[in-house]
Amino acid sequence: MAAVAIHQFAQCITCHAWSPDQSMVAFCPNNHEVHIYKLFGEKWERVHLLQKHDQIVSGIDWSIRSNKIVTVSHDRNSYVWNQEASEWVPTLVILRLNRAALCVQWSPKENKFAVGSGAKTVCICYYEKENNWWVSKLIRKKHNSSVTSVAWHPNNILLATTSTDGKCRVFSTFIKGVDSRESGASSSSNLKFGEQIAQLDLSFTWAFGVSWSPSGNTLAYAGHNSMIYFIEDVGSSPSAQNVALRDLPLRDILFVSEKLVIGVGFDCNPMVFTADETGLWSFVKFLDEKKIAPSSSKYGSQFSEAFGKLYGQSKPAINSDTVESSRPRGGAHENCISCIVPLRKPGDTIVRRFSTSGLDGKVVIWELDNSI
Amino acid sequence: MATVGFLEDENLEAIISRIEQKSRKIESLLKQSKPVEALKTALEGSLLKTKDERCKSANWIVVHRAIMAIKDVDAMFSSLDPEYYDILMKYLYRGLATGDRPTCDQCLKIHEKLTEKAGLGCILRSLADTINTV
Repeated sequence: MAAVAIHQFAQCITCHAWSPDQSMVAFCPNNHEVHIYKLFGEKWERVHLLQKHDQIVSGIDWSIRSNKIVTVSHDRNSYVWNQEASEWVPTLVILRLNRAALCVQWSPKENKFAVGSGAKTVCICYYEKENNWWVSKLIRKKHNSSVTSVAWHPNNILLATTSTDGKCRVFSTFIKGVDSRESGASSSSNLKFGEQIAQLDLSFTWAFGVSWSPSGNTLAYAGHNSMIYFIEDVGSSPSAQNVALRDLPLRDILFVSEKLVIGVGFDCNPMVFTADETGLWSFVKFLDEKKIAPSSSKYGSQFSEAFGKLYGQSKPAINSDTVESSRPRGGAHENCISCIVPLRKPGDTIVRRFSTSGLDGKVVIWELDNSI
Repeated sequence: MATVGFLEDENLEAIISRIEQKSRKIESLLKQSKPVEALKTALEGSLLKTKDERCKSANWIVVHRAIMAIKDVDAMFSSLDPEYYDILMKYLYRGLATGDRPTCDQCLKIHEKLTEKAGLGCILRSLADTINTV
């Protein structure tokens, strides 16, 4: 398994998203524009340029079924882009923020989207047919700091957020007239908008990147202290596991299946985490095989018996001076990876392909083989 | 307010007496020339649940004693379990912050080996956590 395609699109990419048929990729080259590239034969060519924001575009999401692009930016606004004929027509969504918008994600049913912001709030936006207008409803006064990442539960009601106050929270986003009472799981559909279901207090430092497992049973998020946290049964009786990393912290994570998580971040190389039959999560390996992962690069902080086993193994004999400096070179990515996106076709339940982008301006497509 | 203050004082006394106990145990382990055992004792339960600087300093003096008694760093790591790595790293940074020459020499020597063993993640965990300080 390795990177199947690497493409250098820009100097630096803040975020990217794929069209429903995955023939096109939209990304922000670290400025106020969104570029859409299409693959013609062997060559990527720019087909659209979305220019409406005034400042850096911090989030892009492209809905699979309705083929709409939503973008958010440090200019505190959001646009929903609709393709009409060959043009992308923007609709302004006034988020009512006084700080930058940082991240965005369409809900599974694509009738809402969530925006995390530096204003310590989360906006849930939905379409009002009568007014032909996207309305933003705010979840206020719950976060003590910027919201760095949002993730929708598959039931279209629950939303998980991570924040620089170190906490991961789960909210109900039930909106009358948009969500029907039957739509979610019975327990979660009785909740009012903005109600906090859970607050996870595991990290003492910034939290980044949150993801639900495909079934919505497991939640995972990363801390800036080189830890990744896995929480089972968030709604009823949460149980948490911490996995401490040997290397630099993660920025974003993705559930590929119920038992397999990919984490990307400052180590420039995607990390694979799996759960065994007993539900115990652990680090398995680096995805980029060019980098030789030391076998001792893992330990679970809660499970001290595993500690000794994993840590006790000695590292391969490498000169200690060259270990850190040679680390990111020669891999698919040469700088911090900030974004991981599944490549999922409509109706697909399992993700076998995903793409990553980062500060080196590359978009890398990865394909999982059957060994994991 | 008075009750809160009283409770805290009681806690502080309990903490100080625990540190004194620990100190005596470490001294006796050092006399038996078991420096690694002494270090383990020093690190165990040393994450104080208090913001009180006097407690932290008292505790640091005890841990410092144990760290300085380590002569053979490689031998120490061969018998020190990985669960101590994160907390040891925190104390190494406290040691480096003192600016005291022999302390810094010793802490740097251990720091090098510990980083080799536990990776950059261990350093990040000790630096990123601003709540559980030592």
